[in-house]
Amino acid sequence: MGSTRLHELEEQFAALGESIEDSPVKDALSVLHAIVHEMRGGDATGAVTMAPAGPTIEDVANLYRQAPAMEGTAESGGLSIGTEAPDFELPDANGTIVRLSDFRGRPVVLAFYPLDWSPGCSRQLDLYQQELDEFARRGVEIIGISVDSIYSHGAWAAVRGITFPLLADFHPKGEVAKRYGVWRESDGFSERALFVVDGDGVIRYAHVSPYIEHVPDIYDLYAALDEVGQPAVAA
Amino acid sequence: MIGSTRSHAAGPVVVYGNRWCGITQLIRRTLDRAGVAYDYVDLDANPDVERRLRWMLGRGFRQPLVYVAGRWLEQPTPADLRRALMLARAA
Repeated sequence: MGSTRLHELEEQFAALGESIEDSPVKDALSVLHAIVHEMRGGDATGAVTMAPAGPTIEDVANLYRQAPAMEGTAESGGLSIGTEAPDFELPDANGTIVRLSDFRGRPVVLAFYPLDWSPGCSRQLDLYQQELDEFARRGVEIIGISVDSIYSHGAWAAVRGITFPLLADFHPKGEVAKRYGVWRESDGFSERALFVVDGDGVIRYAHVSPYIEHVPDIYDLYAALDEVGQPAVAA
Repeated sequence: MIGSTRSHAAGPVVVYGNRWCGITQLIRRTLDRAGVAYDYVDLDANPDVERRLRWMLGRGFRQPLVYVAGRWLEQPTPADLRRALMLARAA
């Protein structure tokens, strides 16, 4: 069946649903509709799955889906816009020391996230990986920071295909997160927070997720980056 | 489609999700980058939509839910979405 005809039928089904009172009959019709979708191949992915001999890299990358939930409201507010961003020295997954001051002269996004391998984070960094060309187009570097070790960062970046630097705020644990005011004392890891630091080392955008499981809106980040790219208006 | 206000020549694509959801953002940006016109229906802003989506699926669902020309994808990967778009164009 063509997409157009199928879409017409879906529209019809949606409209009819509005005119039927909630009842077991309505539930049965809804389930029947779901059965038809399942029988024609479930969703539209068209994927053929083969049973692997053992855990695949994809299985490892997707462990976060079964991981215990990570939820909670923000405990810290973070440094304010206009503040000079504290410098830091942290190792990346290769053990290379990265300093904020290395980026002087160009904007950088600092993405503090709670932990490697945890629910939520995985997709946030996948999103940034997908968007690397958009950051590059704006002349911006992006850096992830969490309290995980360099070895965890290395494994996690490898299975997810992450190529931008992940820094280990590992020892003393969370010291940089504390300097930026995004430490969660009760959990022993950082808030999920973004800071855009301009070429002069000043924080021009700051966002701490109100719930740690919430990923900051990428469209808001782009709007902020586009503004940072504009020359500052004299007061 | 449900909660959507636009029509699309190449078959409607609608993303039902939340702004704070990483997968919703990943999927929306995948569509943006592919130049695919789509409607975005925010589930926080449109709480009544969830009941109607449950009717279409016969159950609850994990967001984002993506409608591609008559087919439903629950929490797809960008690769799943690209395959679905190819199938819709081929049909």
